[in-house]
Amino acid sequence: MLANLWAWLEALPLAEQIGATWWFPLLESFHVLSSTFIVGSILMVDLRLLNLAGTKYPVTRIIREVIPWTYAASAVSVITGVGMFITRASRYAEIPAFQIKMTLLVLAAVNMAIFHLVSARGISNWDTASSTTSAARFAGACSLLLWVGVMLSGRWVGHVL
Amino acid sequence: MPGGPPIVQTVHLLGISVVMGSAVLINLRVLGLALRSQSTEDLIRRLAPWTWTALPLLALSGLVFIVAQPYRYFDNPIFRLKFALMVPAIATTIAFHRRPDARGRLSVVLAVLSLALWIGVVLAGRWIAYVDYLMPVE
Repeated sequence: MLANLWAWLEALPLAEQIGATWWFPLLESFHVLSSTFIVGSILMVDLRLLNLAGTKYPVTRIIREVIPWTYAASAVSVITGVGMFITRASRYAEIPAFQIKMTLLVLAAVNMAIFHLVSARGISNWDTASSTTSAARFAGACSLLLWVGVMLSGRWVGHVL
Repeated sequence: MPGGPPIVQTVHLLGISVVMGSAVLINLRVLGLALRSQSTEDLIRRLAPWTWTALPLLALSGLVFIVAQPYRYFDNPIFRLKFALMVPAIATTIAFHRRPDARGRLSVVLAVLSLALWIGVVLAGRWIAYVDYLMPVE
């Protein structure tokens, strides 16, 4: 099933165009640019949740002002990432480093969702506090580790392709 | 050493991430595009140490690549371009650190310039490996 999808993607004229030309390095360089911006902006939120930076500012305010940029950079990362993926979809799909990267990305998204839906309940009680709740600190630490893992596994993919 | 290159590259990428979250974010703040509720002056004072922690880390992890394959880098025009962009990028960042209270048209121009330079440094960094696409070997 999936194998057919990968083969279909690889056969797209766009996939061949990217794979055979300077489009691939162009997409890759913008993937690196947007990915480092994602991590740099999320780091700010994570460090605030861990009480390690920006403790003067309410947690919700930092999130509200930083996360739209994270999402914008994520859109660039996803588009450029998919562009590279379709050039050799079946090969990427079978590489453990790629599978680990996708798993870590899902975990990072789940971690974010749990924080927003569960841990951030009653955030008004500790929004401005320089000591956040243990659930918030846990979310911040998980996010930090997961994104370092995404970066490492992502870079690994390029070396085993 | 298997795994060596991606690990060192990841350290380099994490260093770039910190520059993104500090120097680049300061540019966006000066342009009024991000973190508008925080004072520019306070943000610069708060984020400057992060840039100065990341830059030595970047130099060190970058040096590993150069030492490993000096010819790949010193003969590479994109590598030279990266450094030609990096020197003024760092200079603009220092300018903001020195005058965090600066306002007006000059700081806006400087922020646009700094933003473009840092983006150029990151893009050029990735293109070092792809120099043959731009300048095919005869």
